[in-house]
Amino acid sequence: MIENYSVPSSVAEAAQLLQQGDATIVAGGTDLTPQTEAGARTFASHLVNIQRIEEMRGISTSDGRFRIGGLTTVTEILESKILAEEIPVLVEAADHFASPQIRNAATLAGNLCNASPAGDMCIPLLLLDAEVELASWVDGSVAIRSVPLAEFFTGPGKTVLQAGELLVAVEFRQPAKGFTASFQKSGPRPALEISTVSMGLAAVLQDGLLTGVRIAIGAVAPTPLRATATESTLEGRALDENMISSAVQSVQQEVSPIDDVRASAWYRKHLTGVYIRRALSHVAGN
Amino acid sequence: MSSIELKTGEKKSGGINKVFSKKTVIGTRVTKPDAPDKATGKTIYINDMVLPRMLYGKILHTDRVHARIISIDTSAAKALPGVHVVLTGEDIPLLKFGTMRDNVPLKAGKVRCIRDEVAAVAAETEQIAAEAIALIKVEYEDLPAVFSPTEALQEGAPVVQEDHPDNRSLAYKFSHGDVAAAEADSDIVLEHEFVVPYVTHCCMGPGCAIADFDSAGKLTIYSQTQYPYNYKMDLAPAIGIHPGDIRVIQPPVGGAFGSKLDVYPFEPICALLSKASGRPVKLTFSREEEFINSPTRQPAEFKIKSGVNKDGTLTFRSVDCLMNNGAYTSWGPTTPIIQMRTFTGHFRVPAVEYNGLAAYTNSVYAGSFRGYGNVQATYVTASVMDMLAEEVGMDPIAFRLKNAQDPGEVTPQGSKLDDCKLKECIEIAAQKTDFLSKHETYAGLCKQPGRIKRGIGIATSIHNAGGAKIHKSDGCGSILKLDDYARATLITGASEIGQGIDAVLTQIVMDELGIPKADVTIVNNDTALGPWDVGVHASRTTFVAGNAALQAARAARKQILDAASKQSNVSAEEMDLRQGHVVQADNGVSIVKLDKLLRQMHFADEPELVMVSEYFEPDSELEDRNHVGNLSATWAHGAYVAEVEVDTETGEVKVTKITAVQDVGRVINRLGIEGQMEGGISVSLGYALSEELLIQDGKVLNPNFRDYKVPTAPETPEIELHFVESDCKASPLGSKGIAELPAIIPAPAIANAVYNAIGIRFFAPPLTPEKVARAIHGATTQ
Amino acid sequence: MSLEIEIGFTLNGRPVKVRVPPTMTAVSMLREKFDLTGGKLACGEGECGACTVKIDNRTINSCLMFAVDCDGREVQTIEGLGSVKGLEIMQQAFVEHGAIQCGYCMPGMIMQARYVVDQNAGNEHKVTRDDIARGLEGNVCRCSGYTKVVDAVAAVVLEEAST
Repeated sequence: MIENYSVPSSVAEAAQLLQQGDATIVAGGTDLTPQTEAGARTFASHLVNIQRIEEMRGISTSDGRFRIGGLTTVTEILESKILAEEIPVLVEAADHFASPQIRNAATLAGNLCNASPAGDMCIPLLLLDAEVELASWVDGSVAIRSVPLAEFFTGPGKTVLQAGELLVAVEFRQPAKGFTASFQKSGPRPALEISTVSMGLAAVLQDGLLTGVRIAIGAVAPTPLRATATESTLEGRALDENMISSAVQSVQQEVSPIDDVRASAWYRKHLTGVYIRRALSHVAGN
Repeated sequence: MSSIELKTGEKKSGGINKVFSKKTVIGTRVTKPDAPDKATGKTIYINDMVLPRMLYGKILHTDRVHARIISIDTSAAKALPGVHVVLTGEDIPLLKFGTMRDNVPLKAGKVRCIRDEVAAVAAETEQIAAEAIALIKVEYEDLPAVFSPTEALQEGAPVVQEDHPDNRSLAYKFSHGDVAAAEADSDIVLEHEFVVPYVTHCCMGPGCAIADFDSAGKLTIYSQTQYPYNYKMDLAPAIGIHPGDIRVIQPPVGGAFGSKLDVYPFEPICALLSKASGRPVKLTFSREEEFINSPTRQPAEFKIKSGVNKDGTLTFRSVDCLMNNGAYTSWGPTTPIIQMRTFTGHFRVPAVEYNGLAAYTNSVYAGSFRGYGNVQATYVTASVMDMLAEEVGMDPIAFRLKNAQDPGEVTPQGSKLDDCKLKECIEIAAQKTDFLSKHETYAGLCKQPGRIKRGIGIATSIHNAGGAKIHKSDGCGSILKLDDYARATLITGASEIGQGIDAVLTQIVMDELGIPKADVTIVNNDTALGPWDVGVHASRTTFVAGNAALQAARAARKQILDAASKQSNVSAEEMDLRQGHVVQADNGVSIVKLDKLLRQMHFADEPELVMVSEYFEPDSELEDRNHVGNLSATWAHGAYVAEVEVDTETGEVKVTKITAVQDVGRVINRLGIEGQMEGGISVSLGYALSEELLIQDGKVLNPNFRDYKVPTAPETPEIELHFVESDCKASPLGSKGIAELPAIIPAPAIANAVYNAIGIRFFAPPLTPEKVARAIHGATTQ
Repeated sequence: MSLEIEIGFTLNGRPVKVRVPPTMTAVSMLREKFDLTGGKLACGEGECGACTVKIDNRTINSCLMFAVDCDGREVQTIEGLGSVKGLEIMQQAFVEHGAIQCGYCMPGMIMQARYVVDQNAGNEHKVTRDDIARGLEGNVCRCSGYTKVVDAVAAVVLEEAST
């Protein structure tokens, strides 16, 4: 039973409220509502609506770093001119995200904190070595800690977020020159589909060699997965058919998908192979 | 719409007489009269209704698939403030209902499937009702369960219904000609097995009923039913009252598609809650409840053996159909009635036999769903036709044309193909799509390397298009009255579930009486007012209700013209009704305004009101015991071509175009017929590619739109429609029923196109990406 | 006594005030507190779009939104799209193109269609049927098969581009 409802207007105010404990944070509601309706989650006694915290909105750059406020909606990412120019893979993932109505409401922080193994927005952010900024109220002021996104997820629906913490923003460095990335997602329909598999691959292609390889895969493990072994296999190598075949083999060994109502483990593994091939050929520019 | 043309007529007593040219609205695009309110959100659907003092009902469904009920403790629920009534099977008498009288509203003693209703609550709010349901404690003892029909028929299988210890439900047998001899004489005999899945209607308006008993013990039920008149007969035993004491009101509904052609337990439960509480009670399903509890399309396993001679002549067809009846019997296991007609009568097959059997299991049960058994039969026959053609080295078009019937032929079951247009449909479909050249090109590319493969496929079918006589009458009544202002009201037995009979009937009245659309009102939502009708199903409504309306409109027209004739020196035959006037038929000159004439008739010394009633009974026959008889007054064929792209890596199938050619008799409402066909194609697209209600050990695994994938706008292919018009003689209106063939034929056309693209045949729809990928890569990657 | 929150917002152009439980969804508030039953609760999970309404120039699934979050915003429902005098152009197009059969999904579909066209207004890129279909990918219709829906929206795009 909810006893209190608050609408903080700043991170500091929110952090103070959350510090009191037993709170449920609500923003776009797109995940929280179905989860509570289905009984998969129950409300705490204090409902904190963070939608009015203006400082948690928007996309900005400075000193070669991008910052996306946690309350930025997926539509705002999709419509961002600067992201379209600089980080198109993020826009592409946003374009594959749910439906227009959900994109209009769903926030970046919500998608990350929901920690679905199939969460679409984490894939490109993992490629970018993004960090999440977590705020809490410590000794009378706002304390911020940064956590690499790759370490943020701990299991399906589980993150390192502590009670009283709020995901304020996501930050990542402007990618190096020559950075290219690809986002692949399954499903006969463009959107409104929980990913059977989604994959992102990024690298810098220089003199025919791949460097800084990053591979992130959704819906093949308990958390969105960084395929680090396959990344190392590809690192510093030239892209030829042999290399691509060994990347396919390597990544299929690296994933540990499950059978569920949406797809079998076999199909998820199969798609992982198809997608890495597509992603590599995209990155290689053909 | 009729437009008024003003011309200068001959001068008479100093004035200018208006002249009206003849304009028919039949065949034009007429918008649905109810569309503006639907577009503005004004329409109050049953799900939107609130009655004064209304309570909210909710059902406790079991979580077991087969179990003895040891105890039900409702004390906490009854004690919850705001709860008015809690009912269990122990609180009501034994009220058997359903096709086989094997179902009861609230289960006592035992549950047999996941849908089973063990208790129900009526409370002041939906939330209190839900809380009360959560407080009910049921203790069960699980029983051994059986889920597959094959296992259910084995000796020693768990018994689902005590009255049927062998688990056998409905059975069908038909044979014609000497199948064994035909098989022995055939050059080629092929045997195949097909499995078709559970799919569900996904009406956008979830299941809902509002029941309201009056003090005299009479029930008014606001219902989503598609068959209000027989619904009374079927509902009455489930409540323990007389059918005559039930009044059915049909508010606007959010879709039906065959899912509301039977009584399902939530409806009598709602009525029993109203009876027990003395209040109106509304019971609504959540989407999850809707997915789990509404009837599905009948799943089935088919074994089909077919013979053909080297010259391409079909010799025989033998079909075994095994159906999962589920725990109770609704319309699903009766679908062989229509299915058989396709197996035995689609294409000229001299020797045919069909054996159908349904077995009780602890799975969910099926009802009727747009296409009624023919969806399954056509998937099978259209796939087999392509395989046979390939086997004898003929192309799919020539092979079909060789075996297609001619007008006047009668099928082994007695379907009279008086005006058969099958060949014409196939020829037009082939020609409009450049079928043969594409088919050959794609087949040649099939084994070449390449990620995307293209394919083209054709399928055809036959369906009842003049009703389907499964009751002693397949008729529809119409009452037509005109008021003093020449406004017409047509009270019809036909139900409107979105399909657009409101527009069609409006057109017919407009056309016969020469009045504008705005002056016609259709009343069809109350059994206390309306005359009898079998219901909206079997592609029958435009055919049966349309002709009933035509009959009534013609009778009213005759009465009007006779009266006009008495007043003028013009005979009735020489007059016409146009744009609100009685006119001279030859030159269109107005004789009298219609409203004026009606008032003169009304206020005469011998007053007469224009108020007629008519009943139209189609010229069809009940089947005899051997399943022979001309079940429908007319039959229609269609030939559909699908064009696809297959991603051979991911297995995704994209349908790029559907070309539909269908014998429609005569187009009445072009807008409506296009909408029916496009909508039907979408349903079949889902059947082909994405839809399957996954049921494991009797439990539904995907009761939501996330995992049960209905087609959405981006997956919708380009659609090209061609209407073959034959002016059907069995129909005074000239039209044939059209609504089911579009939901029947596209799926196998898509499967045949996929075969053309990748050389792999799929014997179990849907062709999901995973299934297609597995067929292509399964052997090599794992 | 369970907690209720007083909120105020603009509803179809008029200021309103209402008290709602903090977990009530926007669709329930609109239907139960304001009798605006055009938007439907047809899935409750954001998967069908039948509850689509516009909040501050963005369409959302009102079954997922908390009613309390309407506070201070501008809310438009299907009932506020047209006027007392008549149908809005998109509503009229849906009627004329025969897109409406049972119509249950249509209030949501029309709200989204209006949004898709508004979003693309003034774009250099010419709106295609594919763009329209993608804009409607979150709206399920089981009657129409979508062809006439896209026809209707395409007609509005053309008509509004020419004026």
